[in-house]
Amino acid sequence: MRPRIPGIFCLFLATLRLCAAEGKVSFNRDIRPILSENCYYCHGPDEKHREEDLRLDIRADAIKAGAIVPGKPEESDLIERIFTDDEDEIMPPPKTHKVLSGTQKELLKRWITEGAEYQEHWAFVAPKRPEVPAVKSKGAAFGNTIDAFVLEKLEQAQAQLSPPADPHTLIRRVTLDLTGLPPAPAEVAAFVNACRTADGAGYTISKEAYEALVDRLLASPAYGEHMASTWLDYARYADSHGFQSDSSRVMWPWRDWVIRAFNENKPFDQFTIEQLAGDLLPQPGNAQIVATGFHRNHRLNGEGGLIPEEWHVENVIDRVDTTGATWLGLTLGCARCHDHKYDPVSQKEFYQMFAFFNNINETGVAIGAKNRSGGNFDPVIRVGTPEQLKRSKELETKIAEVNAALAKANKAIAKAQSDWEKNAKVHSQTPANIKKIIEIEPKKRDKKQAEQLSKYFRDNIDHPGKQLSAELAVLQKELAQLDLATPVTMVMEELPKPRPAHILHRGQYTEKGEEVFANTPAVLPPLPANAPRNRLTLAQWIVSPQNPLTARVWVNRQWERFFGNGIVKSSENFGMQSEPPSHPELLDWLATEFMKSGWDMKAMQKRMVMSATYRQSSNVKGLTPALLELDPYNRLLARAPRLRLSAEAVRDQALAISGLLDRKIGGPSVRPYMPNGVWDETSVYGDLRNYKHDPNGGLYRRTLYTIRKRTSAPPTMLLFDAPTREICTVKRSNTNTPLQALSLLNEVTYVEAARVLAQRMMKEGGTTTAQRLSWGFSNATLREPTGQELAIMQKSFAHHLATYRAAPQEAAKLIDAGDAPVAATDPIELAAYTACANVILNLDEVITRD
Amino acid sequence: MNPFLLQAQDAINRRSFLTSTSSVLGLTALNSLLSPNLLQAASAPSIIGGYPHLPIKAKRVIYLFQSGAPSQMDLFDPKPQMAKMFGKDLPDSIRQGQRLTGMTSKQKNFPVAPSIFKFAEHGKSRATISELMPHISGIADELCFIKSMHTDAINHDPAITFFQTGRQIAGFPSMGSWLSYGLGSENKDLPAFVVMTSFGSGRRDDQPLYDRLWGSGFLPAQHQGVKFRNSGDPVLYLSNPNGMSAATRRATLDDLNALNQQRYGVVGDPEIEARIAQYEMAFRMQTSVPELTDLSKEPQHILDMYGPDVKRPGSYAANCLLARRLAERDVRFVQLFHMGWDQHGQLPKAIRGQCQDTDQPTAALIKDLKERGLLEDTLIVWGGEFGRTIYSQGALTQDNYGRDHHPRCFTIFLAGGGIKPGMTVGETDDFCYNIVRDPVSIFDLHATMLNRLGIDHDRFTHKFQGLDAKLTGVEKARAVKSILL
Repeated sequence: MRPRIPGIFCLFLATLRLCAAEGKVSFNRDIRPILSENCYYCHGPDEKHREEDLRLDIRADAIKAGAIVPGKPEESDLIERIFTDDEDEIMPPPKTHKVLSGTQKELLKRWITEGAEYQEHWAFVAPKRPEVPAVKSKGAAFGNTIDAFVLEKLEQAQAQLSPPADPHTLIRRVTLDLTGLPPAPAEVAAFVNACRTADGAGYTISKEAYEALVDRLLASPAYGEHMASTWLDYARYADSHGFQSDSSRVMWPWRDWVIRAFNENKPFDQFTIEQLAGDLLPQPGNAQIVATGFHRNHRLNGEGGLIPEEWHVENVIDRVDTTGATWLGLTLGCARCHDHKYDPVSQKEFYQMFAFFNNINETGVAIGAKNRSGGNFDPVIRVGTPEQLKRSKELETKIAEVNAALAKANKAIAKAQSDWEKNAKVHSQTPANIKKIIEIEPKKRDKKQAEQLSKYFRDNIDHPGKQLSAELAVLQKELAQLDLATPVTMVMEELPKPRPAHILHRGQYTEKGEEVFANTPAVLPPLPANAPRNRLTLAQWIVSPQNPLTARVWVNRQWERFFGNGIVKSSENFGMQSEPPSHPELLDWLATEFMKSGWDMKAMQKRMVMSATYRQSSNVKGLTPALLELDPYNRLLARAPRLRLSAEAVRDQALAISGLLDRKIGGPSVRPYMPNGVWDETSVYGDLRNYKHDPNGGLYRRTLYTIRKRTSAPPTMLLFDAPTREICTVKRSNTNTPLQALSLLNEVTYVEAARVLAQRMMKEGGTTTAQRLSWGFSNATLREPTGQELAIMQKSFAHHLATYRAAPQEAAKLIDAGDAPVAATDPIELAAYTACANVILNLDEVITRD
Repeated sequence: MNPFLLQAQDAINRRSFLTSTSSVLGLTALNSLLSPNLLQAASAPSIIGGYPHLPIKAKRVIYLFQSGAPSQMDLFDPKPQMAKMFGKDLPDSIRQGQRLTGMTSKQKNFPVAPSIFKFAEHGKSRATISELMPHISGIADELCFIKSMHTDAINHDPAITFFQTGRQIAGFPSMGSWLSYGLGSENKDLPAFVVMTSFGSGRRDDQPLYDRLWGSGFLPAQHQGVKFRNSGDPVLYLSNPNGMSAATRRATLDDLNALNQQRYGVVGDPEIEARIAQYEMAFRMQTSVPELTDLSKEPQHILDMYGPDVKRPGSYAANCLLARRLAERDVRFVQLFHMGWDQHGQLPKAIRGQCQDTDQPTAALIKDLKERGLLEDTLIVWGGEFGRTIYSQGALTQDNYGRDHHPRCFTIFLAGGGIKPGMTVGETDDFCYNIVRDPVSIFDLHATMLNRLGIDHDRFTHKFQGLDAKLTGVEKARAVKSILL
């Protein structure tokens, strides 16, 4: 620890935290992290693993046990035990491999001297609207309240915001952040022009133009798609059941509901209630029931020999974990087997939460033929308008009737066929293969031959059932089309009588303990006294203004989206072990503002991206070495972050830049390019096998529509940190690996995108090489290349041109990548531009949002 | 050497003090710069505090996973006393009400099916091994058998997930990912964790495998196992596109690096330098991987040793030979999966085939490593996800039977890497149903493996959801001391 800048900050474990170098020690800020990390495991909430009957998470208990004597560190056992040199006495014990630093020990001592006051964990206390701090810094040209909170901390560190980002950087940043797609070059030009200063020499961001841009992006349908991508990770959404045979399911109507909900800016409380309990709303609409697919997205096991109860329990636990992680930022799953080690959530409370999700009218397993052939498991709902659903029922009835009539006619048809066969043998119109079958004695024909013959007869020859067959075909066709338009999707449906729930000893389904009833953890505000203990009440409780977690968790995750880190860096965990917020007042201000606005998701995001903090430059070079040392992780936000694009955005952007992107929204999942055999090398089970890319509309859709088989996810998705969607994931890692490089260099998606971009460079980019290269470069980076950059590309192009001239057959191969039609008069030139475009699409600047 | 690569490496070297908190600019940059498996950093510091905690006996692991669960009483744990029990019902005193899978729980009776295979003692260690494994029998004195493995899971998917990740449910890092994360790579040109899969003579629709078995769970995605494929590019996207020669690729990379350097000059984010280094490693992999997977220069006597299957790409034999080549190149964790051991019916026929596939190559790998002096610091583990029942699933005849899943006991073996050769630990009852001595859990096995790699399993943690998550879980685990050299 080297506090170069006097007084205010220090660094713990490479994480910036305010600490108590001056002023009073704060329990929440300074002490709880030490106690939680080092002491609570044995002296915390978990009764079964508590040592010496001492708990340090409750002040009265700690005092009663003599561990703490307020004001008197020398009499406190805690102090004696942490300072002792005696190996048998020292706390934490050496076997835990936890060691307190000198500073931590001194803090504990000071805290006891100052009276050992406890505070409730900040995240379990409802946010109060803080005062907006007064700051000295001259504000940016425009900004908002967010900036005051950020500037307050920056000023304490004698730092300030970076200058505003250039207009072309800003429009690319905000467009990628809000829609997951880059802006069109024309949009960039218009915005940049609007920001040009009167003298034409420089830029100043125009508030009107920027606000109009933000509003346009928030209203774009691509916004809902981009927001949905993240939500699908939380919801562990996929197109397969996820265990062993991993066969298919249809849940895309739920996915489309999510996209629509974001685009319609459904208030977050409503968004929550419909997904958790839409089926329990009074007279729920079809869409509200579809929304409950959220908690049917978990995996379903159908392995031969499984014990259904075991997997039913696993699914319900998955729902509790997912609910905790998604809305509350709590790791409830830790209390499955024992009381939570750190958070005040007992095992009993875990199973009380379990009871909310235990009453679905389901088997909880994927047993039966559908485990291999694919399909949905009850409860399900057909999606569609009332008219569509009525027609579908009618069709089903009619088909049954026609089938019955056909069955009756079967004998007559068989006789007609055998009569026909006698003549057909010699008839010139009968195909040879059919004749061959007829030659075989009827009893000696195998099944396949018999079917082939019967089919030929029924399709081509007049017979007593012909009209019925024709009618059937028409009906079936209509039903198939209707089925496609009105798919069946899995949803929640409450049992009339709740299934009993029990504490499960060690989390094992076989070891039932005390019966429990639906309820929420006592550390959080209680449920309304008279409300029924069901999912609807739970959902309403989650988004009640008294709930201290939900709004904070959600605004924090949006902050993470725009600023790289959450205000609470551990955005997945707000419990005792979470990292204290870098800007606690800002978090509370945002949370209260969010609720006050009626949980308006778009308004809250708009607030964030309109701030001067968001609009500042990401350039690292502008920062002083002292600040870099003080704040290596940019928690103070003296600059905007540079972030690698998400797995989805990397691909979507390549498709957009090349012009291949198909902007169709929603519908069944699609099959873009994937390496041969990716599904089959390790599995020949299930119906998701023999992957083939779909040339009819499946190649260039946005990546969130790519079919997801969970046990064999699209490889490039995994390489770029997307989760497998087997369990709820609320935070992705962000890595930088050689395999990412290989896929961007060589995967057909990117080679084809480079080739199609090259075609456009030749067609739309002007007449000279320099113009065309500039055009390609600026189409991707959304800025003009510098002279040096252009020189590098020109030299490179000349080299490639010479190479391909010498080997035209190689040029022909390179430009053959992908299914998109080749449009160029000169294949050699196209190959050379393709090689250059391949470089452009791999630029760090292109796959990064500055 | 490429000038940009040198610059990038320089930049990294200059930042080698990044382990302290100074001068770090971005979290990802920190991850990529420090992540040893991505760099030319043979001496990269381990992220494990206090490592090594123990003497390093093994530098790398080759795990020969026998997927589907081999029958222990037909291979390594003979129960001759069962001959007289032929067809008799499994006594309740043995079953003790333990749960069965849904495949046999409704069977009217549970007829004991003695193994039809002959066993003999082999080597100085007098290990009893089935006639199905003649080559393994020949190296009995190199092996350490654990006959008292047990697991909690009774179905394949959770059981194999448990073995690989220490949890039955999805979302946790696999063994190889933990080691890639903790120890990094000793090889600058190859990934730290390589996975290979094979089908042999078994039913093609035998138990499948899942990405999660080599996934990185909550660890950064760069630690996921790199699966070598059996056809096409051995590593996905390794080959340049058709029509782009290696020279053209090099030229494009030079341009890319030059342009990225320009950008670095403007924005100063070390993440850009890290990316340049990744592209250079990608380029090196384009040479190192084909060189690795090219078996054409292996001498005939070596090919013969692994058996005729070695010529078939993607066979277990070919994968065993590749495993040796990976071990020579110091790849940290090599994991093979051989599918097809799930023998619910027609076990005698099916197990013959599986042994035919695996016996000779497994023995060859161990001998080959030994001859090259690599066995002593390469830990070999052979085994499946659980065992099989002594009673027959379905009809029992004199020469045919099937066996259901049995999690209560099964046999695995280890070799090399600081494990005592020529010994057996653990013992099962007469019915091969319950453990009577020295039970070893999966956590114990993981702890043992980590121990040989110099790691105290309790001190190898990663903060996840506020907890110090470990490969060995929250229950107490212990290394099996009696088998450690």
